[in-house]
Amino acid sequence: MSKIDIKGISFSYGDNAVISNMSLTIAAGEFVAVVGPNGAGKSTLLKLIAGLLQPDTGEILINGGDIAAVRARGLIGYVPQNYANNLGGFPITVEEVVRLGLVTARKYRPDKDHARHIVDHMLSLVGMENFSKCRIGELSGGQQQRVMVARALAGNPELLLLDEPTSGIDYVASKRIFELLARLNRNLGITVVMITHDIIQATQWTSKIACINRGLCYYDASDRFRLEHVLHGHSWL
Amino acid sequence: MEIFQYDFMQRALAAGLITAVICPLIGIFIVMRRQALIGDGLGHIAFAGVTGGYLLGSYPLVVAAIVTAGAACGIEWLRRRHAQYSEIGMAIFFYAGMALAIIFSTMFRMPPSGIMSFLFGSIITVTTTDLAIIGVCALVLIVAVIYLFEKLTLMCLDEDIAIIAGINTTAINMVFAILTALVVVVGMSVVGILLVSALMIVPVAAANLLHRGFRATLLWAVAFSLLAVIAGLILSFYLDIAPGGTIVMNAIGIYLMALIWERVSKPRVRNQADN
Repeated sequence: MSKIDIKGISFSYGDNAVISNMSLTIAAGEFVAVVGPNGAGKSTLLKLIAGLLQPDTGEILINGGDIAAVRARGLIGYVPQNYANNLGGFPITVEEVVRLGLVTARKYRPDKDHARHIVDHMLSLVGMENFSKCRIGELSGGQQQRVMVARALAGNPELLLLDEPTSGIDYVASKRIFELLARLNRNLGITVVMITHDIIQATQWTSKIACINRGLCYYDASDRFRLEHVLHGHSWL
Repeated sequence: MEIFQYDFMQRALAAGLITAVICPLIGIFIVMRRQALIGDGLGHIAFAGVTGGYLLGSYPLVVAAIVTAGAACGIEWLRRRHAQYSEIGMAIFFYAGMALAIIFSTMFRMPPSGIMSFLFGSIITVTTTDLAIIGVCALVLIVAVIYLFEKLTLMCLDEDIAIIAGINTTAINMVFAILTALVVVVGMSVVGILLVSALMIVPVAAANLLHRGFRATLLWAVAFSLLAVIAGLILSFYLDIAPGGTIVMNAIGIYLMALIWERVSKPRVRNQADN
C-alpha cells in the first residue's frame, strides 16, 4: 500500500499558475476522489503524483521516498483520460491490452501460463471475461474503461491513479466503475486516487474527496457539510 | 519458375522478400503512433544521403543510412522537447533533405537515370553488396523489434502509461527512430524513395481491416506485403513495367480487397465504428 505526501507544491504552464502551494496527504489504502472545475489543475495534480510532471516548488513523496523509486518497481497503475478517442482503429484485443499491464520495469516476468491466468483473473475482476477476444475499439466507453482498469491492475500496483474514468459514459456504467474501484480498494488494499466530475457517486463510494479550485485544495474527509460549502461556494457546480 | 533462374531476379526476390517482412514490422508501430507520413519524410532525407554519398565517393546506401538515422534521431528529439512545434520542425527536416539532395546531385552532375533509380526503386539492379547490407540491416531490425515488441506496443497504446510503468521511453523512441530510418534505406532500393512509405503503411492498413488482434494484424500485414512483392516482381517481369510501382499497386489492390471483405462480412463492426 502506498502513502502519498504532497508538500507545498506549485506548478505553472508558462506564466499560467495551475497549482499554488498545495499540500495534501493521502493515507495508504485510501480511496480518494479529486473533484473540481475544468482547468482547476486536477489532471496536472495526477500527473505530478505519477511523476510525469515535476513541481516547480515543493515535493511529492510516496511511502516517504521519491516517485522514481516506486515507478522503477512498477508499482503504479495509471488509467489516463480520453481513452475511447484513441482506441477506435487500434488493432488490439482485450486480452492483449490486459497482458500489457505485465510490461513494467520489474525484472520478474510471469511465464506464459501464469500470464494467461493473471489476464483471465483481472478480466473476471472487472466483469469483462466474456470479451477477451474482442477488439477494444469495438467496446462501449464504459467497457473500455473497465478493461483499462484491468490492465492497470495486472501489474499488481500498490497505487492506482485514474484520470476521469467515468467521463462520457452513462450513469449505470459510471456507477459500475465506482463500485469496482471501491471493491478493489477494500479487498486488495490498493490506494486509489481518481479524478471525477461525478460528485454524487464520489460521495457515495470514496473514503475522501479532495476539491481543487483556483489552485487551492480543500481536503476534507467525509465531512459532507464542508464539502457542500466548498462546492456551492463556487459557480462550477 | 523461369524468371527466377536469372541471378539478378534471385537477388531482386531476396531483397524484396526481406523488405516485405521488415516494412510492416516497423509500419504497424508507425500507423498506431499516427505517424504514417514519417516514412515519406525520411525518404526525402535518405535521398540527400544517397546523393551525398555519391558526392563523397562513398557507398551511397551506407551514407544514406547514417544521414537518415541521424535525422530520425533529430526529429524524435524535437518531438519530445518541443511537441507543439514538432510538425513544423519535421517539415523543415524533410524540405532540407530534398533541397540538399537537389544540390548534391547537381554538384556531382548525377545522371538522371541514377536519380530515377533511387526515386522509383531499382530492385532488379540490386547487387550482392546491396543484398548483404539489406540483410544485415534486416537482421538488426528484426532482433530489436522482437526484443522491444511489448514495450513498443505499450508505448503505442499510451506513452504516459509506459513511462509510469518505469520503461525508458526516451531510449526506446530513439532506437525506434533509427530502426525506421534503416527500413526506409532498405526499402528505397526495392520500391524507391517515393514509394517506400507505402510498403510500410498499406499492408498494415489492409490487415487492420480484418479486425484481428495486434500480433495477428502484424502477421497478416507481413503476408500481404510478401504477396504484393512476389506478385509485383512476376508481373513487372512479364509485363515489362516498373517493379516498384507494380509492388505498391498490388499492395493497394490487396487493401481494396480487404476493404470490400470488411464491408461485406463485418457490417455490424462498421456501424459501431461509424457511431
